[in-house]
Amino acid sequence: MPKYYVLVNILLALVVAVAGQAVAEVTPEIQLGARGVMSLNTDIKNNQTTNAVSDFSDTDLMIGFRQKMYNRFRGQLVIGFQFPDAESDLGQVFFHQTFIKIEDKSNILKIGRSRVRTSLLDFPTLRDDDALLLTTVLNPFSNGENSEDHQYGNVLEYSHIFGQRVHFQIHAEHFKESPDTLGAAETDFGLNAVGLLLQYRVPVSQRWNRQIIQSVSIGTNNFLTDRPGYSSEYCQALKNVLFGFVINLKPDPVHFWDLRSQTVYNIGFDEVKEIGDFSDLARAEAIGNYTSIRYLYRRMERPTLQVALSGGYKDFPNATQPTNLFQVAGSLFYRIGFNFDVGLQVQYKEYSGDLRTIYGKNMTRVQFSLIYSIDQLWNNQFDDRESLLNLEHGYIP
Amino acid sequence: MDRRNFLKTSVTISAASLFPAPLLTPEAIAAVPERFPKPMTPTLDGDVKEFHLSVDIIQQEIVPGFKIHTLAFNNQIPGPEIRVTRGDKIRVVFKNNTELNHTIHWHGIFVPWRMDGVPYVTQMPVMPGKQFVYEFVAEPYGTHFYHCHWGTLLHMQAGMYGSFIIEDPDDPIKKQFNYEREYTLLYSAHDVNFIRKELNAMLDRMKERMYLMKHGRFDKERFATFDTKDELIEAVNEGYQPPYVTNRRSPSELPQPNWFTVNGKSYPVTPNLLIKQGENIRVRLINAGTEEHYLHLHGHDFWQVCDDGVPVPQPWQMNTVRLSPGKTIDILIEGKNRGIWTFHDHDTRRVTNNGLYPGGNLLALVYEDTPPEEMELNPMTKKMGLTSLPVVALDE
Ligand SMILES: [Cu+2]
Repeated sequence: MPKYYVLVNILLALVVAVAGQAVAEVTPEIQLGARGVMSLNTDIKNNQTTNAVSDFSDTDLMIGFRQKMYNRFRGQLVIGFQFPDAESDLGQVFFHQTFIKIEDKSNILKIGRSRVRTSLLDFPTLRDDDALLLTTVLNPFSNGENSEDHQYGNVLEYSHIFGQRVHFQIHAEHFKESPDTLGAAETDFGLNAVGLLLQYRVPVSQRWNRQIIQSVSIGTNNFLTDRPGYSSEYCQALKNVLFGFVINLKPDPVHFWDLRSQTVYNIGFDEVKEIGDFSDLARAEAIGNYTSIRYLYRRMERPTLQVALSGGYKDFPNATQPTNLFQVAGSLFYRIGFNFDVGLQVQYKEYSGDLRTIYGKNMTRVQFSLIYSIDQLWNNQFDDRESLLNLEHGYIP
Repeated sequence: MDRRNFLKTSVTISAASLFPAPLLTPEAIAAVPERFPKPMTPTLDGDVKEFHLSVDIIQQEIVPGFKIHTLAFNNQIPGPEIRVTRGDKIRVVFKNNTELNHTIHWHGIFVPWRMDGVPYVTQMPVMPGKQFVYEFVAEPYGTHFYHCHWGTLLHMQAGMYGSFIIEDPDDPIKKQFNYEREYTLLYSAHDVNFIRKELNAMLDRMKERMYLMKHGRFDKERFATFDTKDELIEAVNEGYQPPYVTNRRSPSELPQPNWFTVNGKSYPVTPNLLIKQGENIRVRLINAGTEEHYLHLHGHDFWQVCDDGVPVPQPWQMNTVRLSPGKTIDILIEGKNRGIWTFHDHDTRRVTNNGLYPGGNLLALVYEDTPPEEMELNPMTKKMGLTSLPVVALDE
């Protein structure tokens, strides 16, 4: 028998053995998350009223697999897609989450497509992007067509957790770059942003320990742009600082009140004094704040009713002509079944200065919505890092 | 030169075989009692024997390398053995060190009804940080046990059980079989995923509820606790959904045990029963779990001598005994067949650890006087670095 034949056979046997083991051994935990957010929007803009049922964004489906690795680590794969905004150019579906995460008690490494750190908090509005200009740092490489460009990116993140509540994170991203010419495909996927995040956060499981402070975070993003006229990377970088906190005004299990606030300072480029397009909007110096006060009624140990009032303001101090934006939103969600809510939201936005040319004078939007969300886990094998048992009775890897 | 000395001088046999099997080293024999629940020493208050039990959340290592969060009496699983004499006046001071509710039920003991430990039926639950004093007279004779009766499905399989032995100076079984050594084996079955999820969910719920209780804000519907059945029916008629309608608590399936323990441990660290040729031993079997076990002893018949603590009129000879949940059965083993013999559930699904055979409630009846040469392995096996029988094997 020729030697190479034996060798091939041995190799084949090895391949079969290894592959066979992968099939036979460990069944992972399987997670399924789905959310449907359907709304009827009534917009009043320039004294014209329009009705539309076109808004399904934030509707998403995510599937995750998780298992224990050798030693103390756990690995996870998440694949998720959502329905993009109707006016976006992302097509019918957008893969907003596709990442692998490896973690132990105090270290987390995440790589893939995921949420970027352009905002520190989630606000109790109907849609994630309802107050995008106020809550989120804008991606300067985008042409502004898709709100997803500012919320999701290809990320590489490393976090270290000190004790149980202090998270330090260093992250690098590739933010989507909209090609100059219409219809051209993106070709460069190099990392175009780096940032840091420091956060103190009370784990969700300990929310009834009734601390006043729920979280305090400070973060920064640095977009590596090719700013004309500057050569050093530091000067070319478009920098911003975010500061956010959530405090429990009344940490009562039945009548719960909290307040969250985030301030975003976009250091910007001095030379941007007029805001004529989206590129200027992302690059102009700006300071904005968005704050929400929320009341949550939990009749039977789960949410029954949530009422929130949110508002924000953003100013562009470097603009030649006084430019700012103001926005308020009131939202109400009522639970009509397990995981099933009806929602009503009224928003008012007002723009001044240069922003008026882009967005108009003002806009009122009334949204009636139905929301159904599920979160399921099968084949559960181990506990979460932030479970009460792991936090308060010793961590079991 | 006897055989032993010959072996010592022989160069062809590896040194390892000269030593008794690891199971029979003096250290191994001395360690055996550690695997059985140690009786607690009471303090005396006049003629009352006073015991102190507390409950905490601890980490229990079921087998080397596998730990779970559990509930434990006096930081051990099972809880300490309470061993008293018939007619003794007993006081048990029970302290709850957890953020959950508990009670203690005295299984098989003729306590006054208000001492029976059933929440909402005989007493209110012992709430976080609180204590409750149980007082009763030790009756009747025999093998019994105690366990938590709050959230029983979870709390028992999480570890809240212990043996309660009532002795008689004029012991009928001792009279009949003349034994010295005896052992207590508490069987349980655990769905460790259920324990983890439900314990977390219960802790979460209780954090909320204790806050409301402290402020006197007891809400019958929220706590799902009503004065009367009529009150519940009325609430349902008015739109109240009891927890079972939507099963709004996790997890939603009934537990499916995947670990099977004896005295809180699974094979290969289950306790072994030591015996000598010609010796009789008494073994008290207690099923504190939710599964039925069919316990089979190799190489012997044994006598079933007590059922639920009660001496049977005519001991039954058998080699497999059915131990249902809540049952206690005493057996008497006669040391008639020297060697190492397994004693295990013949529903071999319970001889597994996390689905893998062997494991679970497998243990051994070990004759201390088994000669080492009988435990020898063949030369081939010695080359593998193994010394003698029995060998710990986890992958068959
Ligand atoms: Cu209990």
